[in-house]
Amino acid sequence: MKFQTIQYYFHEVFVSMVRKRWMTFASIGTVTVSLFVLGVFLILVMNMTKMASSLESQVQISAYLTDSLTPENRAEVERMIRSLSTVTKTEYVTKEQALQILQARLGDQKKILDALGESNPLPNYFLVTVKKASDVKRTAIAIADLYGVEEVKYGQDVAANLFDLTHLIRVFGFILMLVLALATIFIISNTIRLTVFARRKEIAIMKYVGATDEFIRWPFVLEGMALGFIGGSLSAIVLSSFYSAMAAKIYSTLAFFPLIEQSPFMIYLTLGLIISGMAVGILGSTVSLKKFLEV
Amino acid sequence: MRIYEKVVRSIDVKNTGGDRGDGIFEIDYDKFILAGGKLIHLKNVTKIYEQNGVVALDNVTIDINAGEFVFLVGTSGSGKSTLMKLLMHEEVATSGEIFVDGRDVVRLSRKEVPYLRRDLGVIFQDHRLLEDKTVYENIAFAMQVIEAPNKIIKHSVEGVLDIVGLRDKAKSFPSQLSGGEQQRVAIARAIVNKPQIVIADEPTGNLDPNTSREIMDIFKRINDAGTTIVMATHDKDIVNRMQRRVIAIENGKIIRDQLRGRYAGGR
Repeated sequence: MKFQTIQYYFHEVFVSMVRKRWMTFASIGTVTVSLFVLGVFLILVMNMTKMASSLESQVQISAYLTDSLTPENRAEVERMIRSLSTVTKTEYVTKEQALQILQARLGDQKKILDALGESNPLPNYFLVTVKKASDVKRTAIAIADLYGVEEVKYGQDVAANLFDLTHLIRVFGFILMLVLALATIFIISNTIRLTVFARRKEIAIMKYVGATDEFIRWPFVLEGMALGFIGGSLSAIVLSSFYSAMAAKIYSTLAFFPLIEQSPFMIYLTLGLIISGMAVGILGSTVSLKKFLEV
Repeated sequence: MRIYEKVVRSIDVKNTGGDRGDGIFEIDYDKFILAGGKLIHLKNVTKIYEQNGVVALDNVTIDINAGEFVFLVGTSGSGKSTLMKLLMHEEVATSGEIFVDGRDVVRLSRKEVPYLRRDLGVIFQDHRLLEDKTVYENIAFAMQVIEAPNKIIKHSVEGVLDIVGLRDKAKSFPSQLSGGEQQRVAIARAIVNKPQIVIADEPTGNLDPNTSREIMDIFKRINDAGTTIVMATHDKDIVNRMQRRVIAIENGKIIRDQLRGRYAGGR
């Protein structure tokens, strides 16, 4: 490709965008808004997924031990639990600590415990944290089989419901993203189709005087790319400020809420929006041009 | 003999006329011989439109030598426009063979079509100028899009503006010109790439008789300089005045082909 030709392409793109400034403005606006909406839902879905995972990771297994267990046996049980590949943490809770926890939890009603007198019916237990929520059940069954473990509890019903919910969030989020992405491609390529349509006469003349298809295609592809780039960047800028404002608000009021941290996430999102904007721009112009090149 | 000279001239033009950047040498001698040494060669050409089954051209055979000026006459729907579209490869013949300047148009690949069109200057009744470009830009556009070097564009555009007598209107926009002037711009654009053949579809269709005569004078000058002209027209007056070859088409068939013809039949 000649340098003169490349110069011509850039000149054409610039002149076309400036001459049809309203069309350019509308196209960039459409790209920006579509990608912004897509970005908002992406942030929502990803944060909900993150929240679901964080809830899941809080599911712990309580392994209640028989009272007759000697300290050596207990150390052996702990070693066995730790040796399971799915386990990340074990914490030993004595029956005295268990009673304190129970008292604290009962609050004002802790007098009920007075009925127990000096006896403490609560067992010693291990509080076990696992790597992945999906490992909970399997790990619990394995621990239950260990010598000296009387009973295993992990809130079976709660965990099952939670897993159903988080699964639903993931599936729904994925479908929502897919639908929105398709809608965005459709809207953007339609907008570019309008700019191509506005120049159909020019394209026909180029065909008649013997311009090659590649020569005709390039300025449109570049223009689609430019529209996508500008729209993608704008939506990324708006989304970034939106997200940091929202994060500040949430941290000040709901500090426990597990938001995705801004630093790498927003950079990926920005890159993603710009690249998808450009990709859709190129795709839109190539597809819309096809019909007009058939002369 | 004259044909032979013409071909040599055209090869010279192509070799010296500039690097087209594609390295394609444009004349295939075998095909040129296949075409019987004619610049345009149609043999038993039939065109049936698939959509509606209309037979637009029915077994048409025409030979046109380099340097000829040919009128295609006939009523609307007779097949003149189809014939022109076949030459430009805008439509493809259903059967028969078509050679234009040594190119086998019927079997032309999609990639080769642009190079065929660079040999054809096309002019339409409705000018088809770009409203947002000046006269100069409209003409230069035809050179830019085939990647002609910048340094020869200015020279060539000014040259053709002189031929059509519009040098002083170079900076005007089409909307500021009369119909005749717009058609001159279209002619300038068609010839700026020095095509072998100019194809004009009713170029005087919207013009008054005086302007039509001026436009025909320009075509005559272009033809005198060696360019072959194929023109479809309804204009009885100019056909009768020019006294050139007339091919009359009716219902897709050639009903008359006279070397110094008139619009209507007879001598």
